Amino acid sequence: MLQFVLLFLAMALPCSAQEGPFFVTYSHHMEEPGNLEVETSSTVGIPRSRQKFYAAPYAELEYGVTAQWTSELYLESSSVWGDSTVFTGWRFENRYKPLKREHWINPVLYLEYENVNEASRIQKEIEGGGPDLTSRNRALHGERAHELETKLILSSDVHDWNISENFIATKNLSESEGVEFGYAFGVSRPLARLASGASCRFCRENFIAGVEMYGGLGSTLDGFTPRGTAHYVAPVVSWAVSDNASLRLSTGFGLTDQSNPVLLRIGYSYELSGFGSRISRLFGVKR
Amino acid sequence: MKISYAVLLLASSILAAGQNPAYQQDPQWIAPEAAGAKANPLAGKLETAAGGRKLFLRNCAECHGSNGAGMEKKHSADLQLAMVQQQSDGSLFWKITNGNAPKGMPSFSRLPELQRWQLVLFLRTLKATGPAAADPAK
Repeated sequence: MLQFVLLFLAMALPCSAQEGPFFVTYSHHMEEPGNLEVETSSTVGIPRSRQKFYAAPYAELEYGVTAQWTSELYLESSSVWGDSTVFTGWRFENRYKPLKREHWINPVLYLEYENVNEASRIQKEIEGGGPDLTSRNRALHGERAHELETKLILSSDVHDWNISENFIATKNLSESEGVEFGYAFGVSRPLARLASGASCRFCRENFIAGVEMYGGLGSTLDGFTPRGTAHYVAPVVSWAVSDNASLRLSTGFGLTDQSNPVLLRIGYSYELSGFGSRISRLFGVKR
Repeated sequence: MKISYAVLLLASSILAAGQNPAYQQDPQWIAPEAAGAKANPLAGKLETAAGGRKLFLRNCAECHGSNGAGMEKKHSADLQLAMVQQQSDGSLFWKITNGNAPKGMPSFSRLPELQRWQLVLFLRTLKATGPAAADPAK
């Protein structure tokens, strides 16, 4: 099976992959149709007292079903210093952009099913009171959470700036936690407006910088409030390492006692073009 | 000599098969008048077309081919055709910016505005090289 997967990957062509710099905030830019993006990322939490150092690596497979519809599969894990390393589950998300043209504000509808346990620490979003950063993995690993997460993504390209806002509502189908809320905002801009004619790796046009802010907003049980939950503000940067690969970095600073003082994120993505059509041809489906 | 002739013939056939001279424009995909009337701010800076070429190879060649002749299997436009080249700079800029989602052309609004104008500048340098060039009807 693995050999087949590797063969498919080898058959697909690499293509352009200047990724946006955000880790949490989504913009309205979708995956190009038929392309597969493979990404590996990690969230590293620098602890405050009573918390432990942890790293939460995760893998993403993002596929452009159409120009308006993108699907993504996540596999995630968590490793806590002095505790253990556990597989924390998977997520399957879909984003749909209903408008065909660019507008002043571009809405995207987001629906995700999560089959994770409470040891999950990747913090792709923060909702409700945020993750439990003090309990041991052993205690958290057994608590499975089947969650349905929705987002309203609003995003604008204003001149060369991208401004994105996400409003999050999550329902845990396994427990009566009510509906939990969260938010994410981000602003980013490429470092160069013009592309140089020369082939270069470190020229400014290959970098996008920005800042994002994200956190929880309570729940229907505890009240819709930004208090008593985690909030972060994080400068972010994306670097197009090559025509088909991007590296993203983020240093998040915790704004409340429920946050980690520092949350580091790193992600490397590789984009493969024509993946869908090659798979279809393999199975004799004409596109 | 015979071998090199065969290789040349094969290469030409592959190139021709990769092109999309039968491309038909989507009649629904028309730039608004105001957008079509916009002038390229880089029109006097032809040297920036080199950056446009790099952007084209990075973002567009995957579907339109490195010479812009389009790909039949991707149903992508042959950008060398007169029906494309006769469009105004503003119209091409609008199409790059908005894309045509129902036909699979993504939006490139994520690129800075000037880079999209660089792409338009580069599109103007594309010259027909395949069989379509020899067809006077095109």
